[in-house]
Amino acid sequence: MIIQVIVSGIATGCIYALMALGLTLIYKSTEHVNFAQGDMSMISGFIAFTFFQLLRLPLRLSLCLALLSSVAIGLLMYRLLIRPAIKAPHFNIFIITLGASIVIQSFSGLVWSYDQFPFPSVFPNRNMTIGMIRLNAISVGIIGVTGLLMLMLFLFFKCTKIGTAMRAVSQSQRAALLMGINVKRSFALTWAISGLISGIAALLIAPVIFLSTRMGLVVINGFAGAILGGWGSIPGAVLGGIGLGILENVAPYYFPSQIRNIIPFAVLVGVLVIKPTGIMGEERRKRV
Amino acid sequence: MLELEQVETYYGKVQALKGISFRVEERGIVTLLGANGAGKTTTLRTISGLIPLSRGTIRFSGERIENRSPERIVKRGISHVPEGRDLFPDLTVDENLAMGAYTRKDRNEIQRSLKRVFDSFPALGKRRKQHAGTLSGGEQQMLAIGRALMSTPRLILLDEPSLGLAPLLVQEIFKIIREINQEGTTILLVEQNANMALQVAQYGYVLETGRVALQGDTSQLLQDRHVRETYLAIKR
Repeated sequence: MIIQVIVSGIATGCIYALMALGLTLIYKSTEHVNFAQGDMSMISGFIAFTFFQLLRLPLRLSLCLALLSSVAIGLLMYRLLIRPAIKAPHFNIFIITLGASIVIQSFSGLVWSYDQFPFPSVFPNRNMTIGMIRLNAISVGIIGVTGLLMLMLFLFFKCTKIGTAMRAVSQSQRAALLMGINVKRSFALTWAISGLISGIAALLIAPVIFLSTRMGLVVINGFAGAILGGWGSIPGAVLGGIGLGILENVAPYYFPSQIRNIIPFAVLVGVLVIKPTGIMGEERRKRV
Repeated sequence: MLELEQVETYYGKVQALKGISFRVEERGIVTLLGANGAGKTTTLRTISGLIPLSRGTIRFSGERIENRSPERIVKRGISHVPEGRDLFPDLTVDENLAMGAYTRKDRNEIQRSLKRVFDSFPALGKRRKQHAGTLSGGEQQMLAIGRALMSTPRLILLDEPSLGLAPLLVQEIFKIIREINQEGTTILLVEQNANMALQVAQYGYVLETGRVALQGDTSQLLQDRHVRETYLAIKR
């Protein structure tokens, strides 16, 4: 029984990890904090919903179109909001993305209303049995897709020339320019990837929590996960997000269920008191 | 090969270069001397396209290159070893070198350049998987030069390669600069260490507050009273 709870915790945690990952990628490339990450996710969910519910397109096609639009949303965010203000102090950009979050939410409310809608999953909603353990196929699907995505991102950043160049840009923009790397294109690509991750997160979580214009608030848990793991660390974002998900699911198993929203943040505060940089966080390494 | 004419550059509202003109001949070593704030680093950054120039022209092999993107200038054959090395600290030695060859496509040619860099800098060959940030100061400077060589430049801009290095390492770095030059690469060298710079270069320009104050063969500059007093700290 506890194993099932942990597995569904990992599944929830995967969504937080995806949020945290999207935030961290953008932060690492330009040191900007994107508060609208959750709403970028939400709007991709509603785009999918529009395609299959209102336009009656096949489900899989709708989901693919939604993922394409999530890339476009990331690029639009960068081109319309970030790039014109790229020289502004980072705090100003944070407020810009906070504003974008509110605008996207209100706009989506106007278009799609503030109701909750059921959202179909590509995975069957039944239990599967592995040995003695019965697991929900949706949870296993979420974990599988997230794991695969992480692996692909890892290989992209580690083994491809473009991925290495993006890491180079995050370490020194000036040196990257001198190498002939197109830094603006690298920023745009970061936002595109971040958009795609937010889109995948939406399609994974919407079947579990219902589709609503308020689901963008999951970004808060993404922030908490990223900070728990160590702000700015990619492995930290993944571990922090998953850890938070497990805590949130296991705590009500032992304590009254209202504890669900308290325990993760209590643990977050506790960890930060003991290790202010988070679990995987390190002091900023001295630049060469 | 490289020719600057009346180049003016601003940092915000401050004019950093007030009309600088100089030439670098093919296969030569030319040095820019000057105190902090004289405009040496700004000159290099203007050439490599990091800072826009507001007036004047820059010609490279007869072609105007002023206000081109750094990307296009690297492709033309100018490579810049920046002040303070400016490596990618969390990338490995191999990855830093790969970034140096970013604008190149031919894998075999890139492999050949890589081999040449490791021949010139055997110390780097032993640290290929190590993060650049963990190298010693001398190794970092070698990596910065190696990274610049990876784009097979015809002209290298070197900004204070001796900065922060022990005297023995400074000798080593200057020996390497000579070797690179002997293999046919033209060098524009910015240095605080005027003594070393005047020994290795054939021609020198002295910058003072954004202008060329003095120029000549390095043998003449070494005899010049103003140069000796101000930059070599030799009293009469």
